[in-house]
Amino acid sequence: MTTAVTATDAAPLTLTDVRKTYLARGREPFEAVKGMSMDIRPGELIALLGPSGCGKTTTLRMIAGLETVTSGAIAIGDRQVQDLPPGKRDIGVGFESYALYPPLNVRENLAYGLKARRVRGAARQVDQLAARLEMSDLLDQRPASLSSGQKQRVALARALIRNPRVLLLDEPLSHLDAAQRQRVRRELKVLQREFGYTTIVVTHDQLEALSLADRMAVMNAGVIEQFGTPDEIYDDPANMFVADFVGEPKINLFEGTAVRRSGGTVVRAGRDGRLAAYAPAATDGQAVTVGLRPQDARPAHDDEPALAARVVVYEDFMEFGLATLEVPGVDGRIVAQLPHGVRWRRGETRRIAARPDRVYLFDTETGTRIR
Amino acid sequence: MAREMMPGRRRFTAGSVGADLLILLWFVFSLFPIVWMVLLALKTRSQQTSTYFAFSPTLENFGTVMSRRGEDLTSVNFSGALLSSVLNCGGAVLVSLLIGIPAAYAAGRWKYRGSEDLMFQMLSFRFAPELMVVVPLFVIYNQTGLFDTTYGMIWVLQLVTMPLVVWILRSYFQDLSPELEQAALLDGYTRRRAFVMVALPLVRPGIAAAALLAFIFAWNNYVFPLILTDSEATTVTVAVTKFLGGGGQAYYNLTAAAALIGALPPLVLALTIQRYLVRGLSFGAVKA
Repeated sequence: MTTAVTATDAAPLTLTDVRKTYLARGREPFEAVKGMSMDIRPGELIALLGPSGCGKTTTLRMIAGLETVTSGAIAIGDRQVQDLPPGKRDIGVGFESYALYPPLNVRENLAYGLKARRVRGAARQVDQLAARLEMSDLLDQRPASLSSGQKQRVALARALIRNPRVLLLDEPLSHLDAAQRQRVRRELKVLQREFGYTTIVVTHDQLEALSLADRMAVMNAGVIEQFGTPDEIYDDPANMFVADFVGEPKINLFEGTAVRRSGGTVVRAGRDGRLAAYAPAATDGQAVTVGLRPQDARPAHDDEPALAARVVVYEDFMEFGLATLEVPGVDGRIVAQLPHGVRWRRGETRRIAARPDRVYLFDTETGTRIR
Repeated sequence: MAREMMPGRRRFTAGSVGADLLILLWFVFSLFPIVWMVLLALKTRSQQTSTYFAFSPTLENFGTVMSRRGEDLTSVNFSGALLSSVLNCGGAVLVSLLIGIPAAYAAGRWKYRGSEDLMFQMLSFRFAPELMVVVPLFVIYNQTGLFDTTYGMIWVLQLVTMPLVVWILRSYFQDLSPELEQAALLDGYTRRRAFVMVALPLVRPGIAAAALLAFIFAWNNYVFPLILTDSEATTVTVAVTKFLGGGGQAYYNLTAAAALIGALPPLVLALTIQRYLVRGLSFGAVKA
């Protein structure tokens, strides 16, 4: 990273086969994290995305040292930290609840982290950081009198005040309302770029992950389903879980049969629906699950394979429209996002298609992508 | 109701007036024993059995009860009992806090095998009848020399104070976000310092409520001092009844005066912590 301004010591963070198993006597051992490996570059912003209970927060807490590591290694730079107490790891954490100390004002809250180490010039450091985060006017207020957006900013400052080598943020935007969320999300990204800290953000909100992260890990049931850039995750999902979890509105998933042709692959779905797909690995006659994002569905040309569908509902959101469709023989409904101006009516029959490389085929049993 | 009501004014319907009257009636009914006790405390011995409300009140009884004169008259050392009560209850609360605060913290922060059973066991001390344990305790106290000592009383009163302290404070610790202490750990504080410097100051209101509530309960206890003390460590609750004496020697007026004096400390404490009391009494179930 050449853009790093302050964090000249932004460090790479390496997780090697990190596991967490909870043992409860008389119960099955519960594996919360099943062998996570990640190489995070200095200054990179990583998002851990997944549904609740997928192990993302446990992973964060293991990196911070608030949870023991059952096996595996965590390294910051070339220092193994998995056995160090949290205070010795040089990590700043922004907690979901902000963890601001109610009886102290913001200034004292920020200085609190320096007090334990008896840092010289703590007051000056607090003032400087506050100035950089444009929150000098908050310094004399108590946490109770701050808005949630301001609290979030103070929590971030509290994590940054020790100039840690790695910054961890647990659901940083979850307590903010929609408008604040957008603003703070942008601020967070700008600040992270400016300070250059190696950062991990834990979130269950895919929009947050997609917009913030340099790379993101989609987690499910203790494993990483896919680790890559937001583009890779969105455009090239590794399996059905990732495709289903990321994307709004949700991807359409329906049963189909792959048919190999000389020109490529076509999937049959429903009574007489057909979609061209790019999936060289598919075998002829293979039963598959088809994934089609609402954003990728478009009105079909006359001469291409398509799904004929009856319009159940058409919702006009002005900048785009959402058509909910019924395809004969296909279980469930299919949603297509159509450009502004295309107005379909309820009851009409329309044909939809998509670019072949945007029609994903998954193994119905394992959920793995067939490509 | 013929008259127009002002908007926003409380409506006096037959129902609401009836309810108010009932509450008033209950108020008079429940306060009457206290009124009676106050009147009795202001009477002379010759007036003590008269039921007339008209009499010449005197404050002499309070002086008699607290002084040597009362002891000569009835052989009850009431001021001594007052001091004993303070020592017994104060000591009991102090010990309960010293042991109970860390216990409550551990119980509020960590789940382990049998942790809930342990908490319930602790609570069961509160509803087990004291008479069940007091007889064997009497034998043990006699043999170990704890009978009629402040130490003995402090010990046995743990049955009263400890469950209160642990249960009330546990709920306070549970309400406290563990992330506060975790943030302190990341700042380089040790577990112990995080507890002392971060968690403890934030539950101070809880500690005050638990301590005062435990003190009041210990103060009101009657069975333990009745059986386990004689004269040295005997308490207000027991001493009050001794003014009743026996064989026609009953000093009802002194009894009433002593009871009033004895009720004063818990009353004052209850009024000062009224705010926390509700939450304390419900073992913290009410969110502050």
